[in-house]
Amino acid sequence: MVDIQQLFNGLSLGSLYALFAIGFALVFGILDRLNLAHPAVFAVAAYVGIDLVTSLSISVWLMLPVVFVVGALLGLVIERVAFRPLKNRPDAHFAGLISSIALAGVFIALLQGTYGPDTHRFPAEALPETTFTVAGAQISLVQVAILVISVLLVVALGFLVARTRLGRGMRAIAENPTAARVLGVNVDRVTATTFAISSALGAVAGALFALNVNTAQLGMGSAIELKGLAVIIVGGMSSLPGALVGGLLLGVAEVFTVQYIGSSWRDLVAFALLFLILVVRPQGLFGKRKVREV
Amino acid sequence: MLGDSTLVFIAIGAIFAFSFYAVLVAGQLSLGQAGFAAIAAFGSVTLGPSPDQVGDLPALGIAIVIGMLLGAAASVVLGLPTMRLRGVFLAIATLAFAEAVRILIVNSESLGGAGGLAVPKVVTPAIAWVALAVVAYWFWRQGPSRYGRALAAIREDELAARAMGIDVGRHRLQAFITSGAVAGLYGVLWAYFVRLIAPEDFDFAAAIDGLVTAVVGGSTLFIGPVLGSGFLTMVPEVQRAVGIEAGWLRPVLSGVLLLVVILFLPGGLASFIPRRLRMPASTESETHGTLTTRTHPRPGDQVVRLHGVTKEYAGVHALRGVDLEISGGEIIGLIGPNGAGKTTLVNLISGLVPSSSGEVEVLGTRPGRTPVHRVAAAGVSRTFQHSKLFGRLSALENVLVGAHLVSRPTFGRRLLWLPSARRDERQALAHAARCLQRVGLGEKARVPAAALSYGDQRRLEIARALAADPSLLILDEPAAGMNQPEADSLSDLIGSLADDGLTILLIEHNVGMVMRTCSRILVLDFGELIATGSPAEIVDNPAVIEAYLGSAPDEERSR
Repeated sequence: MVDIQQLFNGLSLGSLYALFAIGFALVFGILDRLNLAHPAVFAVAAYVGIDLVTSLSISVWLMLPVVFVVGALLGLVIERVAFRPLKNRPDAHFAGLISSIALAGVFIALLQGTYGPDTHRFPAEALPETTFTVAGAQISLVQVAILVISVLLVVALGFLVARTRLGRGMRAIAENPTAARVLGVNVDRVTATTFAISSALGAVAGALFALNVNTAQLGMGSAIELKGLAVIIVGGMSSLPGALVGGLLLGVAEVFTVQYIGSSWRDLVAFALLFLILVVRPQGLFGKRKVREV
Repeated sequence: MLGDSTLVFIAIGAIFAFSFYAVLVAGQLSLGQAGFAAIAAFGSVTLGPSPDQVGDLPALGIAIVIGMLLGAAASVVLGLPTMRLRGVFLAIATLAFAEAVRILIVNSESLGGAGGLAVPKVVTPAIAWVALAVVAYWFWRQGPSRYGRALAAIREDELAARAMGIDVGRHRLQAFITSGAVAGLYGVLWAYFVRLIAPEDFDFAAAIDGLVTAVVGGSTLFIGPVLGSGFLTMVPEVQRAVGIEAGWLRPVLSGVLLLVVILFLPGGLASFIPRRLRMPASTESETHGTLTTRTHPRPGDQVVRLHGVTKEYAGVHALRGVDLEISGGEIIGLIGPNGAGKTTLVNLISGLVPSSSGEVEVLGTRPGRTPVHRVAAAGVSRTFQHSKLFGRLSALENVLVGAHLVSRPTFGRRLLWLPSARRDERQALAHAARCLQRVGLGEKARVPAAALSYGDQRRLEIARALAADPSLLILDEPAAGMNQPEADSLSDLIGSLADDGLTILLIEHNVGMVMRTCSRILVLDFGELIATGSPAEIVDNPAVIEAYLGSAPDEERSR
């Protein structure tokens, strides 16, 4: 018997994982680099979102587009500071990891300097309290919104990559940056835009996450970071549909683990899933096997 | 400022960084070391005797042995299924392992759960620094040994390393096990210093700290992890000493500093230390015996045999029904238009790709089924069309890697300072220098391969391939980008190699050079062998003329 309530909780949580992970997947797909400042953007967005709602008394729905823009700006900073200077280095793989970790540390420290070390919450009256009853399950408006917004953003991103001029540029760079440049793609600008979009999505994920649990903490990024990595491995590194499916799968699996096994085992699900995939199908559920070139 | 605990933290932080260094030198990014350390820490405390029973030092010694064995064992368990993963995939898989270990410990009642275990404090600064000295010594001796060079070659270009006869899988696993043992040592020292070990001591953040320390210090010189640990441990201490408040400003400054180091010091802090490149003394080249031990196949002996070989790439036939025999001492020219399948043929013979059907037999091996490094060991050595040199290694070091198969392992004997290791290293150096001189690069031995001109890189590829003392030397477009005098001297070199008894397969677009150099010429077109014969026969062969110059029906075919 499937528990509708838990299934929906899992899907809602999983869509957040997917939205967060897709930022990793997007940058990895195009640059072959992991951006470990992504979780810091997630945390910054949560604090900024709560601050916007608290001090400007705007609605939480209006806050989301603002957070999107803040995230995009942070993405531009990340690309300019932590990745572009390393472009031609032979060890760019390691160096990019470290430089983005360093920048993430700076972001989090600045966040602490601005908002202090304490947990932040939305003002009580700002949170929508609406709930629906569907097939015996209690589903809140916030959960529905998370699911709908996340899936819409992921689908919109898929459209952008597949159908637009910008998306064509992204795919060209993913294939071969030098050839893309020769063919007239403005590689630097497309790369920067990719980072902006990636971080904007991560930021919205952070704000939605804060909305879901009504808290923002300095360490919230590190908690989701590992899950984001698990999701993209399971989905297939640079695959956008893979990130969506992987995220939903992880969310549902976690919720059911908590219910049937125990909450202290919840975090093991992601790693068990990820390890299994890496050993059995390293290219992930949706990834393509790369042909070795000589 | 330098209290006892600061001193200990610098030392054990450096040891942890060495566990990352151990795999970074081979180009592997692993984050599983936190898991190895956790297993070692909890395992040694649970299994080892208490200091009350046997005394502090014996208890610590036993714990270290247990911890390092556990760390090494865990790295084998993790390494066997994950060694085929590369780059961030390996990093994430190993990270997942470490996190899984942590969660298992949190959920384990007998290991104290999330609360952790109380451990007596035994480690003193002296103990920690002695342990660090031993580990640093190990990696100092490893660097310029045959094993150390093989790891560096794998880091720079795995495929080329394989073609030089290096068993990449085994080397990577060895590096991984070393990393596991060193991480185990760190786990034990940590446990016996901090009084209370908790699973959180070995979480993702700890793994990242270890990696950052290794990379900031520098992952190509053995002193790097020590510099990194000293630097990162001292930054907060210095900040406190100059009166910067705790809280947010310190991590901001630390982050900015880290960013500056990683962006502007590619080799980490160790790049401040000038690298000493060992050069062979000029007299040694003559005095030491050569490293040429192989008996080459005699003229007439079969070296290569291909029977009905076909290779398809997703439905495209790169090669179709190729039959070919090459015997000892021949200089075979392989020509054909672009896309004719020349490089595919070479890749099949050297074992880099398997054939779709047909038989390949080279010097008694079955390339495609025999691993690449064993084909190389049988005496096949090659250059690559697109230069695959070890970019950050010097020209001389590139050639030394090429001599992997003919030189003897020196790491174990270097650890013990045995004079025979020194002798073997000198002999390898002299051998490599001779190979460089033979291609005319004697003056450029110190230059990093990536900094050489294009023509010099082509020559260095040849010197590296020669160093393996091959019976079959495959040259894939060696004269590309060379001017006529350079191509002429290359032609002379090939001739003199054949006089030494080598069998040579030369792929070249410079048809004039092929005609002058080779004893027999093969012509490939659209994956099929359309002609074979002496240079004079090939020039007059109508099929060849058609393939190269095209005739009316040929033009129609290409439309």
